[in-house]
Amino acid sequence: MLTLQILANGLVLGGLYACIASGFSLVWGVLNVINILHGSFIVLGGYLAFYAYGLLGIHPFLSILIAAPLFFALGYAMQHTLINRMIAAPVLLTLTLTFGLDLMLSNAMLATFTADFRKLTLDPPLGTLAFGTIVLPVDRLIAMVLALGLTGLLYLVLSRSRIGRAIVAVRMDREAAALMGVNVKRVYAITFGLGTLMAGASGPLLAMIFPISPLTGPAYLGKAFVICVLGGLGSVPGAMIGGLALGVVESFGSLWFGPEHATTLSFVLLILILLVRPEGLLGRKGYA
Amino acid sequence: MRREALVAATLFALVGLFPLVGEAYWLRLGTTMLMYGVLAMSWNFIGGMAGYPSFAVAAFFGLGAYSGAVAQKFGAPAGLAWCIAAASALVFATLLGLALLRLRGHYFAIASLVVADVLRELVNSATDLTGGGMGLNLPVPAMSSIDAQAAFFFYAMLALATITFAATLLAARSKLGFGLRCIQQNESAADMLGVDTTLYKVCAFALSAVFVGAAGAIYASWVHYIEPPDVFDVLYSVKAIVMVLLGGAGSLFGPLLGAAVFLSLEELVWRKFIDVHTGVLGLLIVLLVMFLPKGLLSLSQRLPWAGKRP
Amino acid sequence: MNDESRMAVVTGAGSGLGRAIAMRLARRAHAHVLAWESPATLTGAAAAPFSVKQSSAGAGDRPCAFRRAPAAANLGLRGRGTACILRHADRPDPSKGVPTMKPVSIRSFACASFAAWAALLSAGAVAQDVIRIGAPLPITGALSPEAKKLQNGMNLWMETANKAGGIKVGAKRMKIEIVPVDYQSNTPRAVQATEKLVTQDKVDFMFSPMGSGATKAASSVSEKYQIPTIAATASSEQVYDQGYKYLFGVYTPNQTLTEPLADLVKKQAAGVQRVAILARNDLFPLAIAQEMEKSAKKRGMNVMYFEKYAIGTLDHASALSQIKSLAPHWIFATGYMNDLILIKKQMADLGIEAPVVTMIAGPAYKEFVSALGKGAENVTSAAWWHPAVRYKGKDVFGTTENFNKLFRDKYGLDPDYGEASAAASGVVLQLAIEAAGTTDKKAVREQLAKMNTMTFFGPIKFGPNGQVDSLDPPVFQVQKGTQVVILPAAIKQGNLQLGVK
Repeated sequence: MLTLQILANGLVLGGLYACIASGFSLVWGVLNVINILHGSFIVLGGYLAFYAYGLLGIHPFLSILIAAPLFFALGYAMQHTLINRMIAAPVLLTLTLTFGLDLMLSNAMLATFTADFRKLTLDPPLGTLAFGTIVLPVDRLIAMVLALGLTGLLYLVLSRSRIGRAIVAVRMDREAAALMGVNVKRVYAITFGLGTLMAGASGPLLAMIFPISPLTGPAYLGKAFVICVLGGLGSVPGAMIGGLALGVVESFGSLWFGPEHATTLSFVLLILILLVRPEGLLGRKGYA
Repeated sequence: MRREALVAATLFALVGLFPLVGEAYWLRLGTTMLMYGVLAMSWNFIGGMAGYPSFAVAAFFGLGAYSGAVAQKFGAPAGLAWCIAAASALVFATLLGLALLRLRGHYFAIASLVVADVLRELVNSATDLTGGGMGLNLPVPAMSSIDAQAAFFFYAMLALATITFAATLLAARSKLGFGLRCIQQNESAADMLGVDTTLYKVCAFALSAVFVGAAGAIYASWVHYIEPPDVFDVLYSVKAIVMVLLGGAGSLFGPLLGAAVFLSLEELVWRKFIDVHTGVLGLLIVLLVMFLPKGLLSLSQRLPWAGKRP
Repeated sequence: MNDESRMAVVTGAGSGLGRAIAMRLARRAHAHVLAWESPATLTGAAAAPFSVKQSSAGAGDRPCAFRRAPAAANLGLRGRGTACILRHADRPDPSKGVPTMKPVSIRSFACASFAAWAALLSAGAVAQDVIRIGAPLPITGALSPEAKKLQNGMNLWMETANKAGGIKVGAKRMKIEIVPVDYQSNTPRAVQATEKLVTQDKVDFMFSPMGSGATKAASSVSEKYQIPTIAATASSEQVYDQGYKYLFGVYTPNQTLTEPLADLVKKQAAGVQRVAILARNDLFPLAIAQEMEKSAKKRGMNVMYFEKYAIGTLDHASALSQIKSLAPHWIFATGYMNDLILIKKQMADLGIEAPVVTMIAGPAYKEFVSALGKGAENVTSAAWWHPAVRYKGKDVFGTTENFNKLFRDKYGLDPDYGEASAAASGVVLQLAIEAAGTTDKKAVREQLAKMNTMTFFGPIKFGPNGQVDSLDPPVFQVQKGTQVVILPAAIKQGNLQLGVK
């Protein structure tokens, strides 16, 4: 019975992880940029939901709708003005650039919101659901469904819409896409905007579950690393599978080796996967 | 080569006079600067010469700090402990390099980044040996005066920086340096032309570890208290990279220059902008990457000692 | 900086650097700046630091010393205002009249008489000095909320004591100046900051950085320079078992928190047998969890689960599910605010209920209760202090009530134990300096070692290792949204309630 409960915990957690990673994976895959800012964007989305609920009484689920366009605009602007200039530079430089930007953003958040941990507590709480002996918290469950929904939506946008196909085309072959008349710079900016949107939209979901502080950004980023490598880059289904896998691995790792080693285990797994199957569990086929 | 060695020898000798004039606080800054110099020069082997974006500096630093500290805990004298630390970093990096250097680009970056996390958690859970989260206290060196103690660690770090520089000089002017630069430009082509890429990369990776390990151990003896989150801090990796970028990647004096400028900036920022210092540091990094990606030395390429850029 | 209390004599102020310094000091509003117009006279006289005997009526001779101009320029440029100062090793009492100076050498005569003249002009203001206390604080970074608390406490003490005239040193009063430095929540930075405070800012005494780890690390510096150091927030015995002589802490050892709690539970809830402990793998949280394990075993309880979680863990569902399957009577979790909020939230998510749930150190803070709402109900905790305790101290605050009142007046909130302990550190230092009658570091250290007194914080007596061993930490429980003291019996506001959902 304990095994089933832990499996359920892991899957629910994994849904959230998938949401953390999908935007990050998209940016990495398409732009070949590791966006260190991703974790801080999530936290910023969390603050948005926290204040929207605390001051205006807007439910965090609704905050997602507010966060989405705002963060898309933010990401688009950032890519358009800063990162596009560096897009052809070596890996190291773009990485360092986003790292510098992240230092600025997280410091700004620290100065604005302080490092005090805040918690978005719904009143009344959503309670729990019991399936036999398995207990699942409703807020996590809804957050997981929404997270997977968002990720699915991103998948649909990429695979069905015109701009989505352009993004995938650029991901596959930049030069060829440019020759076919795709405005690569614009595609990059839109992709980065979408990645930022995913981060900002997962913020309100995570804010209901985890305490919010500017200091939690790096923890989300670390998860995103592992999930991307697990699932393969730039692939939305990959991020979903990677997220769910990580959630389950961490949960059982904690049970079998003690909670102390759960995170270590996920990192060891990352290195092993990189060595054995660097293209990720799903391989390179599923670009969207 | 002789000319560069001469410039360097003069430079290090001048730095060596520093304890005669400096107070304890300045001596501490000087020691930190030399330590940063060692980290930057070490990263230059793998990152600057071979062009592999390694984030493993923090891992080697922490490993060195803990190896040295544990050796001292079991009664090894400081000097021996530092050597043990260097050796353990060397062995670890060689083995790790054999595994990780098959990866390229972002994959290598991420893999090297999480090594520090894995080591930190291992050290954290090996409570009996390392004290775990409680940290580890090292014996305070039995030295007559405070100044003597400060000068001792300053000279220890200076000696290490000198050795690291000498190694850089030798590597840069040898077949190894040539091979690494070939790898940076086109690894497949280098491989085809008969460069033993695996051997060269592992050598560079090991070189990027051995001095950092020793620096970690000296650091541990110097502050005589270490704990896992501090010595395995990812910022050590990032700082090393920023310093090299600041000075000029792949060059001889670039990392040293970068370390000096970076520390001055850090100290200035730290003092003047207490509430926003990480933000200001971030801004500096952004400006640096956007407008001076080849480092300060690129401004003075015509100077004879600027070192050839690959 | 308390500039009125300083007097500056600038030699060679007729031109150049000296002039610049004099102007600068004047701008910094020193009470009086003496511009010596003929450098030739003084450069010779000041070639070596010399001592001048200074007599004040009834107080006997006191030494004072002149600093040379280069040193002064050096210091002046760093903006600490000690430029070429007539530096009293010991200050005369303002009530006993203006000191007159008696030169010991002919060459120094001119200089000394000028100094006396300056002293005349500045009258009482000169006869005061400041005691400077270094405070390395994690103003930025992960621990910044803690730094705020420490600053609140120590600043309240400084202001209260200064308002009362300052610290009584022998027959005179000295103002307090706290010199804060940010160490970015990074322990090596804390060590550096401590060294900087001692060597560059020349502080007289030190407050320790935040928490046991940083305190332990920085204590080696203050020990090296023999600076009496008060630790406000270090409880782990490892910090004090280093054989250091200059470190004193106002928190009792960790087991003083778990022992009374275990006693209480044993007495009032005899059915509590099975104990589960979940600890953050970090200095203080792990140490207190280990003490809890001992306290529980000592009382015949069965510790069925003891696990550590890594710093930065985002999910505790697995560990908690496992705990749930063991159906413990007493769940004991340690960590910091974010960990404990997350753990308690996930306990509710998984429907975990137990007669007793104890968390250290979160419930002592208002944030814990406000973040969890009803989820915080009936969670027990212990801390070294609580605003409900009642002591009649011999310190500047007097009673605990008065401390609470002053704190509320200034910050609009009730103090918590971190804020109180920071204020208590100042109080302890003040009492030791006053008992010693001097700011001599060795003498103050001796007074700290043999201190046995009462403060608003509680009775203070340090054990041989420098850690306080006289406090009786209160146990409390969140009841109807507020923290209610349930132990010690003398001050209790309510009884232990069983059952946490």
